[in-house]
Amino acid sequence: MFRYLPLVVKNCWRNRRRTTLTIISIGASLCLLGVLMAIYHAFYFSDPPPEQALRLVTRNRVSLTFQMPQAYREQIKQIPGVREVMISQWFGGTYKDRRPENMFARFASEPDRLFTIHGEMRVPENQKKAFQRERSACLVGKALADKYGWKLGDRITIVGDIFPLNLELTLRAIYEADLNNETLYFNREYLEESLSERRRGNAGTFNILADSPESVPRIAAAVDTKFRNSSAAETKTEAEQAFQLGFISAMGNVKLFLLSICGAVTFTIMLVSANTMAMSVRERVREVGVLRTLGFTPAAIMGMILGEAVAISIIGGVIGCGLASLLCGVVRSAPAFILQLKTLSITPPVAAACIGVAAFIGLVSSAVPAWSASRTPIVEALRASD
Amino acid sequence: MTTEETVIQARALTKEFVRDEFHVIALQDVDIDIHKGEFVALMGPSGSGKSTLLHLIAAMDYATGGEIRVLGENLRAMSDGEIARWRNHNVGFIFQQFNLIPVLTALENVELPLKLTNLNKQERNDHATTALKLVGLGDRLGHFPRQLSGGQEQRVAIARAIVTDPALILADEPTGNLDAASAQEVLSILSRLNKEYGKTIVMVTHDAHAARSATKVRHLEKGALLPEGQLPAD
Repeated sequence: MFRYLPLVVKNCWRNRRRTTLTIISIGASLCLLGVLMAIYHAFYFSDPPPEQALRLVTRNRVSLTFQMPQAYREQIKQIPGVREVMISQWFGGTYKDRRPENMFARFASEPDRLFTIHGEMRVPENQKKAFQRERSACLVGKALADKYGWKLGDRITIVGDIFPLNLELTLRAIYEADLNNETLYFNREYLEESLSERRRGNAGTFNILADSPESVPRIAAAVDTKFRNSSAAETKTEAEQAFQLGFISAMGNVKLFLLSICGAVTFTIMLVSANTMAMSVRERVREVGVLRTLGFTPAAIMGMILGEAVAISIIGGVIGCGLASLLCGVVRSAPAFILQLKTLSITPPVAAACIGVAAFIGLVSSAVPAWSASRTPIVEALRASD
Repeated sequence: MTTEETVIQARALTKEFVRDEFHVIALQDVDIDIHKGEFVALMGPSGSGKSTLLHLIAAMDYATGGEIRVLGENLRAMSDGEIARWRNHNVGFIFQQFNLIPVLTALENVELPLKLTNLNKQERNDHATTALKLVGLGDRLGHFPRQLSGGQEQRVAIARAIVTDPALILADEPTGNLDAASAQEVLSILSRLNKEYGKTIVMVTHDAHAARSATKVRHLEKGALLPEGQLPAD
């Protein structure tokens, strides 16, 4: 079959404009497909980043909007395998205005436990101490500080919405981390002091640090068992990665959504490619007849036409993968609450799947034209006009 | 193989088909023997059945009646793959419209049939070059069909037809698209292939001048092969 390769290559390049446009359309579609597959892979098949692999999140079983007694922390800490537990509270609020570009995560947390739970944060020791010492201090990620031009000592005001309180924070520390650099943390005590007696003493979530990844499922089960049938609040505990994916699930059946778009993209590009291949083969019916008179079998002719379509599709697929890789880079650098998006990339399995889909598109789209061309009676083929 | 060895033997060869609900008899009860080393011109007006006979000889089409043996083979009994191999080894085709592959150079066009053999790239290249030199195109190896004149294109087609050294050459109006000078060149090459290399040639033509290059001329009329020496009524 490799003997026919030069002919296959030359036939691919016979109508340069059409081939180029076909490659571009396949490349653009497979770029989209590649990104979607990368997202699907990142969400559902990838291992959590090392810093996330040991963390669990416990929330109220009913809903994230319901709270739990802060006293649960000490009980959770007693569970074997738990190294540390930290109360965390989503604050919400508004910085400057409600435009999406000014939205970033703001958490009330416990400064003396934060750096144990988030061991991946790199903060100068003096800044760490300043943050832990001062009740109105805050800690922000470097990307966030760079975005707003914040410097140590700057005042940051967050207008409350969930909580009846405007935070007047002083920037005392800036952290750097490999993945998440866009969160603001402040002292939970500051929030507690501002609340009425009735609303104090609660926790939005408990962030748990396990001693090993193997302990994670056991701890999750142990925590929920401990508070089952509790009159205060039942809990739901899951790995941090699963907890974050829960937000995505709240938007609907994301799996089905992603797969549907992938299917639609594949099907559409298959139709485009089939049309192109049909046109290309129709123009060469006479040549097919000539090849038959030279001794080429229908199978060899079919193989050459299929090879041509697959070659064009694979070139499109490789270009699509390259574009998808660039797009993943853009997604990685954009602010994102879902940590998995921070590691979004075209991994070898995703690239292989992309190229595989490209080859499949080439095969399927050219199967019918290739079959019918190879089976056209020689006399009829030779009568065909160019 | 003696010069009298029969290369093509047809008996009561008939081809009928239905086109647009009309029953057409393209060829009726044709008996013909063509011997090794003969250069036979098949003549006749359009629709007389000469191209149909050529197609049946090459197993490009199948008879609806009678039988035909070519180079001792009953082609009807062979599979598609066997016929393809048989064509590659034994038959060279020359068409009126040259039918070269436009994206391939003259050398690559001539090399095409050799891709189906066991020859390596160098051997294929050598054979194709030799064939092109034989038709006087040794200096046009790298030219694409669009860079050649009609006569040169047809000579490339002849080189492609002979590159596998087939015993039988079938030519369908090989001079039909050529000017007088180019047509004469092509006919000279065919004569040379017949006389010097002993190729059996069957050429369909409606050009009496072209037919004079042949050693034997047979006429067809309304699907019937006329007796040797007999001309059509009109």
